[in-house]
Amino acid sequence: MTKKVKAILTILIVITAIVFLAFLADMIGSFKYANREVEDPMERRMSSFEYHLEHQAYGEVMSTYYAQRLDSFDAPAGIEDIYHVAEYAHAAFMSRVYAEKDDANRISSNAAKLDALRGELGAYQYTADEIDDMIRNAP
Amino acid sequence: MICEKCKHEIGPEDLKCPYCGADNPFALQHQANMEQFRTAYENTKQEVVQSARKTSGLATRAIILVILLIGCIVTHLISSYNYADHDPEDAVRQDAEKNAASYAKEAEAFLDRGEYTEFMSYLYAHELQYAAPEEFDHLQRVTYVARNYYECIKLMEEMILRSPDPDYFDGLDTDIQNFCMYLEEFYKTLEAQKSSEKDEVNLAYMEDMELELEAAMKTYFSMDDAALADFLSLSETKKALALVEVLRHD
Repeated sequence: MTKKVKAILTILIVITAIVFLAFLADMIGSFKYANREVEDPMERRMSSFEYHLEHQAYGEVMSTYYAQRLDSFDAPAGIEDIYHVAEYAHAAFMSRVYAEKDDANRISSNAAKLDALRGELGAYQYTADEIDDMIRNAP
Repeated sequence: MICEKCKHEIGPEDLKCPYCGADNPFALQHQANMEQFRTAYENTKQEVVQSARKTSGLATRAIILVILLIGCIVTHLISSYNYADHDPEDAVRQDAEKNAASYAKEAEAFLDRGEYTEFMSYLYAHELQYAAPEEFDHLQRVTYVARNYYECIKLMEEMILRSPDPDYFDGLDTDIQNFCMYLEEFYKTLEAQKSSEKDEVNLAYMEDMELELEAAMKTYFSMDDAALADFLSLSETKKALALVEVLRHD
């Protein structure tokens, strides 16, 4: 009886040892996966942003901005310029809405906001002029 | 014990009394008993050792098996953890639960300033748009309306600021379709929520969103009040066709 139990246990030990070795190898692989180098999404977003600007595709910039804002209300490091340009475009869009609404308070607060946002555009100052043109001439 | 003959105290193992030389019958019996106990002890000891020899291999195997099983479980748990792509939204949700009161105040401030798209972006970024904590209960109806307002304004911005480059990807038709869908949804939601909203301030926000959206349509779709009323009375498909004409200058 004892011999049979010993034999069964030995078989189980061999099977478990094989499984353990497989799991061990898997675990070593999992560390490599966890520490893998992931592509920097910010870098990719900035290169798309530059492409959109080349084509004055500010609608696409807005789309990226709103999508990114689902995750991060404030601009994540590396893509602050996308937020600045999109925030300017949104304020410029709303300026004509407030004018149509004849809402004096919002017209003045939005104008101040536009000035402040224009100051933050840095190297992308030219986008403000392009956006203003598009908004002014729409539809 | 006491010698039966001379009544002196003698040891239990003394075969004869050291004082009078009389035989000690108890010592003989004691010696026989001791021999029997020794034999029994040796037998038991041997049995125990034999049994231990038999089962010691069993116990060692069982211990090895248990250690290996624990190893399997631990390595599997570690690799599962490493392979799992952790949901960053979990941390955001936990943060929102913890700071619900201050986030509700911040959200109210956006509404107060009439920044309705900011309000929705704030809720989305903190995972508060659906199943928000009870601190947001009073904003639930206004959130339903703001969600559709946000989608409409977002799509209008994308349409108005689309690339003028004819070779660039043109998603205008899709944007128009989506806009018309959200516009229908906006008015349906507005009607439903206005009738059940008791808070005057929230009602004012809803009406302001309606005014702003209508002002945006008049401005960017070149419509006066009558044209807007006509446009809003159209079906979703006809609205889309009308917008294609306006925005493509067909």
